[in-house]
Amino acid sequence: MQLTKADFRIGGAEPRELWVPANAEAAAEAVRACAEARETLVPWGGGVTLAHEAAPERYDRALGLGALDAMVAYEPDDFTLTAQCGITIAELRRTLAARGQELPLEAAHAERATLGGVLAANASGARRLRFGAPRDRILGARFVTGDGVLARTGGRVVKNVAGHAVHRLLTGSEGGLGVFVEASLKLLPLPPARLALTHGADGALLADAARWRAFPRRECAVLTVLGEEAAPSFTVPGAPFTVIVGYEDDAARVADDARFTAAQLGAPRARRDASDVPPLWQELATLEERPGARLTFTSAHRTPDAIAFLGGHDAARTLVFHAAHGRLHLWPRAEDATALLAAAAAHGFTPIGSRGIALPARPLTGAKHALRVRLSDALDPARVFALGERWRAR
Amino acid sequence: MTAMPLTALALDELRALLGEDGVVADASSLFTYDADAMTLSRVAPDVVALPRTSDEVAAVLLWARSHGLPVTPRGAGTGLAGGCTCESGGVSLSLNRMDRVLSVDHERLFAWVQPGLVNLWLSQQLAPAGLYFAPDPASQQVSTIGGNVSTNAGGPHCLKYGVTLNHILGVTVVLEDGASVTLGGEACDAPDFDLASVVIGSEGTTAVVTAVCVRLLPVPEAVQTMLFDFESVEDACHTVSRVIAEGIVPAAMEIMDRHTVGLVEAWLQMGLPTDAAALLLIEVDGPAVSLPSQVERIGEIAREWRARSQRVAKDAAERALLWKGRKSAFGAYGRTASGFYIMDGVVPRTKLAEALATIYRLAEERGLEAGNVFHAGDGNLHPHVLFDAKSEQQQQDALEVSHEILRMCIRFGGTISGEHGVGIEKRPMMTELFGADDLAVMERVRAAFDPARMLNPGKILPGGSGCGEAHAHARGPAQLGGMMFGVDAARSAGPEGPNLPWI
Repeated sequence: MQLTKADFRIGGAEPRELWVPANAEAAAEAVRACAEARETLVPWGGGVTLAHEAAPERYDRALGLGALDAMVAYEPDDFTLTAQCGITIAELRRTLAARGQELPLEAAHAERATLGGVLAANASGARRLRFGAPRDRILGARFVTGDGVLARTGGRVVKNVAGHAVHRLLTGSEGGLGVFVEASLKLLPLPPARLALTHGADGALLADAARWRAFPRRECAVLTVLGEEAAPSFTVPGAPFTVIVGYEDDAARVADDARFTAAQLGAPRARRDASDVPPLWQELATLEERPGARLTFTSAHRTPDAIAFLGGHDAARTLVFHAAHGRLHLWPRAEDATALLAAAAAHGFTPIGSRGIALPARPLTGAKHALRVRLSDALDPARVFALGERWRAR
Repeated sequence: MTAMPLTALALDELRALLGEDGVVADASSLFTYDADAMTLSRVAPDVVALPRTSDEVAAVLLWARSHGLPVTPRGAGTGLAGGCTCESGGVSLSLNRMDRVLSVDHERLFAWVQPGLVNLWLSQQLAPAGLYFAPDPASQQVSTIGGNVSTNAGGPHCLKYGVTLNHILGVTVVLEDGASVTLGGEACDAPDFDLASVVIGSEGTTAVVTAVCVRLLPVPEAVQTMLFDFESVEDACHTVSRVIAEGIVPAAMEIMDRHTVGLVEAWLQMGLPTDAAALLLIEVDGPAVSLPSQVERIGEIAREWRARSQRVAKDAAERALLWKGRKSAFGAYGRTASGFYIMDGVVPRTKLAEALATIYRLAEERGLEAGNVFHAGDGNLHPHVLFDAKSEQQQQDALEVSHEILRMCIRFGGTISGEHGVGIEKRPMMTELFGADDLAVMERVRAAFDPARMLNPGKILPGGSGCGEAHAHARGPAQLGGMMFGVDAARSAGPEGPNLPWI
């Protein structure tokens, strides 16, 4: 399919030019040319999140990385892979599944989402606590800095501490510090058994801290709460909340986990096993990218009762809360956002992202801000990366 | 940054900041801070500062800056790469008095600790609550959490549980200008660049860590430890690959080759089979219901690869005994040869057998003895080459063999350090592992953290802008490019712990 500039709109803004490099060197050349011309650029993976973001102040060029989609080296017996960053998550999954392995990262719209996009967003999905985020799985990478230098840090082996880990700094930097062109990652064997249990919950059950207290020590793969309207296809009808508990391990342990969960929550309303489970994790990831104004929070909480304070809020009806690692997504009405931000802050939730809702401005002072700006200047001296301005302004 | 001469007035200022007992400045005491466990590269600092708080750390940094002194953070000094050696003189910033557990959240499973806390003490304090800190470098009885953060330390059990990075939620650091900031925190994510992940593993070159938020894990319900012996190292390596390929992720997989087994047995007389080409120790842990099937399947795989015998520890005492052999390997080297040289290379797991054959050949070509004890599950080799410390020729030969071994690691797609860092030791090899552009980008990031280049200058990155200057002015002996131990050094013990190699 021939891509056009219209496919690279951010918040409705179209780039003046679209570049689609055929290889890493061409990507570096494109960034260098941009820097020399004092223009701005946005690297694009599958556009899963970018399309919904606010338009950057200036958006001269889109750098479409979809042509960099080769598997560079897949070593099943070493449980590592090195791939170009335009490869899609779905393609990676198919290749790995054929050898009984996986990269345990979920991304919305896996058929479109690219490895580079997942790394840049540090996207992980519902299983993050148990299996780690991209920063935990990345072994090394090739990337392009804002002045067009093609560099490599880290390595391809599972244990590796030589040199400064610039690849980890770029992970989660949302295209503000560099362009991932190739990455090496640590894989996992597919678990012998998977189980997803769906329970309905009312406000009282959700708030019953004693009932949830033992869950973190069970090391659930997933412990996610959904509002009643979050996902009509699999939320429990009539229940204000749906709690999804997931386990991935050997069969004996998963059976033991199922008994534990039944003792805590009763019989599940729905149950999925084995290969029926991963599609549910994928659906949960895609839920996070539901359109509309969104607030995303992080917290140190580990159990569903942490969001009991949202009872009665309209936003509770559509929420997605990955309790296992404390990440909360809300789609509030515009008029509720301020009150929700205040309530969330009072309960230990820190906003880490917003879409269509302005977060309160923070003073651009302090040592951490200065460090962030120095790092941005170091890796993007010509201020090529259009989205990097957001980091400088944080 | 190269150290300026330290005046009596400046010392008085430092004593005013830290108190008399917070400053070590007499020559005989400074001597004990002149190296980590890589004892052949020794440079005494001009002064040792022993702060008790983050504010005191900040004060020391500001004081050092005003006097043009580089600052090198130091934990227990168990490192094997010269990472905390004050190569350019200046201040050795010992964090050992900051050794408290600050808080523990038993329900949300994290704890804030100070950097000088000994790794094992944390797990010991947490044990009654059924929790522990997973990273377990072999030095964990001595090494500190801050030191573990600084090298992104591994350990035998990182095969299953990951390295230090995977267990750190956040760090509070003092930057070179004395500012204290928290990077990350108690939550998995932070509204910022992942700055903590750059500090972790930066060997004290980016910031001084003054508090660490660590993830805690529940203590596994059950543990099973097995020991197999093989007639060929290759068969042991194939067993490792096969077990993991089947989806079993043991907590640890460690191999000792015939040479090492012979030395350990001669020392400890544990009844180890000295005719075996390799011993493979495998440990699995988790819920009790999970382990029997794993133990059974691992045994089957080992037998398919011609394991001659299988021993499964019946209780904790026997498990400790099986581990004792593995953990005593380096002590055994020390009592056998007058010098030995240890490396910390990594190869892809599937290249282990080929790598070992190459190591033996390289040593044999120079008439040296070589052996291996290593974390087989993740391809992290610790080859050792024995030599006569009185023979300059043998020392030189050992050095050259070690370089060839690390080059082999690079050639096989691996790396020059799996868990001990670059420090001084591996610095010359960095240009063989990375290109000039790669190193220059690393230097940019480092300079953003430490514009004045006052934090542990000269480490990790070879030459080039910034650290090159410090390197050129280094006051110590020429870098040796390896972990080389003379027996006298290996047997000595400083006030901060024994100078024995911990691998």
